[in-house]
Amino acid sequence: MTIAKYIKIWWLMSRNSFSMVISQRLSFSVFLLGKVLRFSFFFAFLYFLLQGTKTLAGYTSSEAIFFFLVFNLIDVISQFLFREVYRFRPLIIKGDFDYVLVKPVNALFRVLMGGADVIDLITIPPLIFVAYYIGHSLSPTFAQSLGFWILFLNGLLIATAFHISVLALGIITTEVDHTVMIYRDLTSLGRFPTDIYKQPLQGFITYIIPVGIMITLPAKALMGLVAPAGIIAAVAIGIIALLASLKFWNFALTKYTSASS
Amino acid sequence: MNKYLSIFKISFQQEFAYKVSFVMWRFRNMIQIFVAFFLWDKIFENPGRIVFGYDRSKILTYVFAIIIVRALVLSARAADVAGDVAQGELSNYLIKPMNYFKYWFTRDMSSKILNISFAFFEFIILYLILRPPLFFQQNILIILAFLVSIVIAIMIYFYMLFIVSSVPFWAPELGWGSHFLVTIILIEFLSGALFPIDILPAGIGQVVMSLPFPYLIYFPVQVYLGNITGALLVKGLLISSIWLVILGISMKYVWSKGLKVYEGVGR
Amino acid sequence: MDKAIIVDHLVKNFEVNVKEPGLTGAIRSLIKPLKKAVHALRGVSFSIQTGELVGFIGPNGAGKTTTLKTLSGLLFPTSGFVEVLEHDPWERKPEFLKQISLVMGQKNQLWWDLPAIETFELNKAIYEIPTREYEENLNELTTLLEIKKHVNTPVRKLSLGQRMRMELIASLLHKPKVLFLDEPTIGLDVVAQQKVRDFIYEYNKKYQATIILTSHNMDDLINLARRVIVIDEGKILFDGALEELVSRYAKEKIIKATLSSEDNIKDLDKIGKIKKLAFPEVVISVPRSATAVAAAELLQNFAVDDLTIEEVPIEDVIRKVFRGELRK
Repeated sequence: MTIAKYIKIWWLMSRNSFSMVISQRLSFSVFLLGKVLRFSFFFAFLYFLLQGTKTLAGYTSSEAIFFFLVFNLIDVISQFLFREVYRFRPLIIKGDFDYVLVKPVNALFRVLMGGADVIDLITIPPLIFVAYYIGHSLSPTFAQSLGFWILFLNGLLIATAFHISVLALGIITTEVDHTVMIYRDLTSLGRFPTDIYKQPLQGFITYIIPVGIMITLPAKALMGLVAPAGIIAAVAIGIIALLASLKFWNFALTKYTSASS
Repeated sequence: MNKYLSIFKISFQQEFAYKVSFVMWRFRNMIQIFVAFFLWDKIFENPGRIVFGYDRSKILTYVFAIIIVRALVLSARAADVAGDVAQGELSNYLIKPMNYFKYWFTRDMSSKILNISFAFFEFIILYLILRPPLFFQQNILIILAFLVSIVIAIMIYFYMLFIVSSVPFWAPELGWGSHFLVTIILIEFLSGALFPIDILPAGIGQVVMSLPFPYLIYFPVQVYLGNITGALLVKGLLISSIWLVILGISMKYVWSKGLKVYEGVGR
Repeated sequence: MDKAIIVDHLVKNFEVNVKEPGLTGAIRSLIKPLKKAVHALRGVSFSIQTGELVGFIGPNGAGKTTTLKTLSGLLFPTSGFVEVLEHDPWERKPEFLKQISLVMGQKNQLWWDLPAIETFELNKAIYEIPTREYEENLNELTTLLEIKKHVNTPVRKLSLGQRMRMELIASLLHKPKVLFLDEPTIGLDVVAQQKVRDFIYEYNKKYQATIILTSHNMDDLINLARRVIVIDEGKILFDGALEELVSRYAKEKIIKATLSSEDNIKDLDKIGKIKKLAFPEVVISVPRSATAVAAAELLQNFAVDDLTIEEVPIEDVIRKVFRGELRK
């Protein structure tokens, strides 16, 4: 019953943001164009780079490109699901978050997932197709594919934890836009396999802010470079991150001051 | 002139009022430097390696030079103009006895000075952490040419921002979208802030070099590094000057048209 | 009668960053922000019966809105006890939230670019209102508020008054038993104010709904609230009937007289403070305890045709409350 209710609410909210987006067709096309351009530019850069260098940190051309594709997939899927996070700041500043809290629907659900981004609905399918194509060319075994899928979902879990923390921080500091951008900058370190970074940065982005576990590890699993113990450890970190972020969210709510009128 | 000095001062303080924004913006710049640095550092792990005509010392100097050139060229407040236009706040300025373009140029200058002083510290800190082999230019003439190219870059960027910010005159909802497309996507990739343009295949590289974007970052940095000299230097300065004039005229034209629309709507 | 709301020794403190002036101040606050505790509520206690309509009044920043927000579960109380409909609001249990509603005149829950009906549909799903009931309620509310024909207009194209009425509908579709109204008529024109006011009155009567109302609008309070609670600086100064507020706090009474001649008219100010003098009418305000003496003196020394003694108008007392003049 409750799950059905939440699916229905999600559907209604996504439909609402869809009708708003298509009412601004021009803006929609500009953003779509921007996203496609960004992807193609970076792809081209990577391609030309590897034309010259042949390998990157010991990875072949298609392997390096596969890392980049996994980064994009996780990035785009979490943007598709968690678009509402980008609209959280006005909600806090104007105090309209009050209306979210007084409703009998989980407030976190509402501000995290209320309204999927339609633009990404267009970009996700071709991305999946290309990732599948390149991934397939790496000829993984069944176990390697399985490892990839487990760690890929785990990566989305960590992305969720990140977004929840951003929201919680937003309640305490009324600052959202910059933390989201920093989150995105940090994850964009994962456009390349994290092996290229030197210590201690590499350790930092692998364990403290688990960009490596979130993006690099799934791709590595597909290439058969992750032991089963590594997969278990990664999933444990993912679950801990999610639980910690939920705790942080609940703490942040007690600090909510509600913009006074 | 005094008037603009006051604007300069108040703008400087304004940046401090939004200290979180400022610190975050610097932090983000640092992350981008990290990505570029480590990428190239890895590729040139072997000190003797030469790819795309670069050796380790030159490519890492390129990355470090970006810190300073970015702060000088790409820190500007004029991106806020689009918001002024879209929300109709432009009127508050138009009724005041000052030049709107000079107003924003002054604010850009204060932003640049603040950013460059922070960039200077970051440069030192990053240098101490990463210890890259750096190359310091000693030829006065080259440094002079570098400074000229920086001035041109600053002006080109200023005109670009104003042209982009005029989009909301006709389509108010596109204020942020057009900035996203031009300043975040096009400039980020085509200015050379992420990678030097000459790693691209010759044909594509030539097309890019005929656009105004590489004259924001890539060209000044290459001039400093002494990679562009003689006839190529003159050619580059010529192309960027032509762009400067074209963009300047376009901006004046677009704004005179836009202001008519603005007044017509009565926003 | 049972109690819908119980509040006992409620305390709420906020911590705020203090901005220091000037450039050096800005740099200092970058390194070490100056924090200041704000005591929004300092031990507030009251209870409200089911079906009561109570007005909260007090100057700006007195703690009215903080109280409402704590009662609806938005703010975490620093200490003290709060119970609404036998629930702890802070837990925000769905079965509690389904019975209450919060309406804020300055905030907005409608989807700005879409017709209001889309928000209503969404609330239907959120509050799990059965379709039949939803249709009935929507029909009733749109009729009562006379806004039926606008439900399919995008919200941004509505006037402020129309939008406020839509906000009310969105907040009431689930027929809440307890209603918190924070400045529901702010910014509305006189006609729209009256519509909203009539509606609140009707809703309270028809459904025996418990309503707490804060307002800076005199007419809201006088027409709607039988009982008022005066809050200032986070404390309750008065809790009782509106008329009682006047007799308790008005230190003066008003003598109105009609004179038959202008003799000695200059000496009138010896009786008390002259509020109005437009022969033959005169209005004098005198200290409450000296009313009888003043009236007698007036009758003795002046040619009086008619004389009445009245309480100070409610508006004057409430105005004093808003200015925070009740503290002393």
